[in-house]
Amino acid sequence: MKLSGIPYLLKEGFRNIWANRMMSLASVVVLLSCLLITGTAALVSVNVQALIAGIGDDNEITVYLRPDCNDTDSLALGAKLSAIPNIETCRFRSRKEVLASYQKTLGDNIYAAMEGEGNPFGNEYKIRLQDLSQYETTVTQIKTLEGVDKVSDRSDIAEKLTRLDQFVTTAGLWVVLILGVVTLFIIANTIKMTMYARRFEISIMKSVGATNAFVRIPFMVEAMVIGLLAGLLSSVVLIILYEPIRQAASNVIGMIRTATLPLYEVWLPVLLSLSGIGLLIGLLGGAVSVTRYLNKEGGAILGT
Amino acid sequence: MIHLENVSKVYPNGTQAVKDLSLDIADGEFVFIVGPSGAGKSTLLKLLIREEQADSGTVLVNGHNLVTMPRRRVPYLRRTMGIVFQDFRLIDKMTVYDNVAFAMRVIGYSEKTIQRRVPMALRMVGLADKGKRKPHELSGGEQQRVSLARAIINKPSLLIADEPTGNIDPERSLEVMKMLCGICQKGTTVIVVTHEHELVKQFGGRVIGIEGGQITSDTTEPLRYPITKKAASFTEPKEGLV
Ligand SMILES: Nc1ncnc2c1ncn2[C@@H]1O[C@H](COP(=O)(O)OP(=O)(O)O)[C@@H](O)[C@H]1O
Ligand SMILES: [Mg+2]
Repeated sequence: MKLSGIPYLLKEGFRNIWANRMMSLASVVVLLSCLLITGTAALVSVNVQALIAGIGDDNEITVYLRPDCNDTDSLALGAKLSAIPNIETCRFRSRKEVLASYQKTLGDNIYAAMEGEGNPFGNEYKIRLQDLSQYETTVTQIKTLEGVDKVSDRSDIAEKLTRLDQFVTTAGLWVVLILGVVTLFIIANTIKMTMYARRFEISIMKSVGATNAFVRIPFMVEAMVIGLLAGLLSSVVLIILYEPIRQAASNVIGMIRTATLPLYEVWLPVLLSLSGIGLLIGLLGGAVSVTRYLNKEGGAILGT
Repeated sequence: MIHLENVSKVYPNGTQAVKDLSLDIADGEFVFIVGPSGAGKSTLLKLLIREEQADSGTVLVNGHNLVTMPRRRVPYLRRTMGIVFQDFRLIDKMTVYDNVAFAMRVIGYSEKTIQRRVPMALRMVGLADKGKRKPHELSGGEQQRVSLARAIINKPSLLIADEPTGNIDPERSLEVMKMLCGICQKGTTVIVVTHEHELVKQFGGRVIGIEGGQITSDTTEPLRYPITKKAASFTEPKEGLV
């Protein structure tokens, strides 16, 4: 293939967009909304995960052992706890330490009376889970161990956030999937319309011996520009809105400020991934319709 | 050179458009193909440009075997031929110059070659001064001459014209036909499909009659009228174009 015709064909691609501006605009808008939803869902998800990680730091779960469980048995139990895969860290706290932590509350006299044989507390383990969403399963597992009295509840916030993250991820995935298909369809249709509007040109191109690869170029350029444009616009919108939304959220819940990701950490991944996805959807939609057209109507030259 | 041997073509809907047809056309010949509407003339041309594929038989064109030719080679076959359409197929938003240049651009010629060759082709069809016009500003005859210039711009060895005068008035038809003759005289094989018997009678030459997808007559008389001076004078000034 001679390459000298390519600048001309690239120019044609941009002219297509202008000539077909209403459809091109519609494609950009639909793809833009799709990418905005995708980007928002992804940003919410990573921030919620950051929040959960932040909460997790002061979110140890306590495993209370029965008071009659002596120190030797307690240590054996600790080894069994550590062996559970979802338990990340496991820290022993003796009944003496536990009682000591109440010294102030109890007052010296009562404390003295309770020390030694009178200690009503049992030994404890402070554990931290790897995956908080697996809380129920892991607790059930812990409770089957000999010597365990009860397990403390985990923090409510962490549980809610985990649910939120799961919801955002699932809902986002579905919305993106559906909108993605719709967008693909709309872009393919836009390109098909352009090709139909230019069927004369295509038949002439084919009659003088232009290869399919060449005929394809202006239309692929059109589809790519639509995709890239939607990708860039959606990233710009998200990047502009990110800090104000984060600020508003931290006004409601203070810890959001410190635990979530700052803009300088997210803007580049947002820009790159949304532009990439836009470009990819554009390319895919374009390729589908160009190939289908060239294999069917586009093969006709003389007509009847 | 064109060599067809026992060629048949049945469309998917069952219409047999070409039936066991055999035909030889030598390099540099000028051939009319005539016949009533639906006779299979366009189908025959489609077989020659590999827009359609023969169901059986042999199709040789310009040294290519079109029956065994893979699809990706078809563009290179088409670069050896020029095609003239009944409806001109000019792109309205492009100038006359760009319409002709288009045929070179889409197969990757450099702008330098295009700038040298297009004015030459426009001179050949007598439209040297109309390069900047838009097609709709021209008469039907002139439009067909633009499409003729486009058809010869890539120096084809075979020129195919399907009812080239179907959309223009008779006087202009003769002019276009003479131009086709002039192109033939410089060595290009020219095949013209038409159902205008009057025009053919005025011209003479080899006339192949087709009906029901078969050849019903084939005359190889010489041209009854010598090509007029005007037609013969459509020669490019310096470099040979076709
Ligand atoms: N794409 C097609 N599909 C089905 N039938 C066709 C097609 N093209 C042409 N035909 C039929 O084949 C016959 C020959 O058509 P055509 O070659 O166009 O004739 P002509 O050019 O001589 O008028 C006609 O009966 C026509 O209806
Ligand atoms: Mg026909």
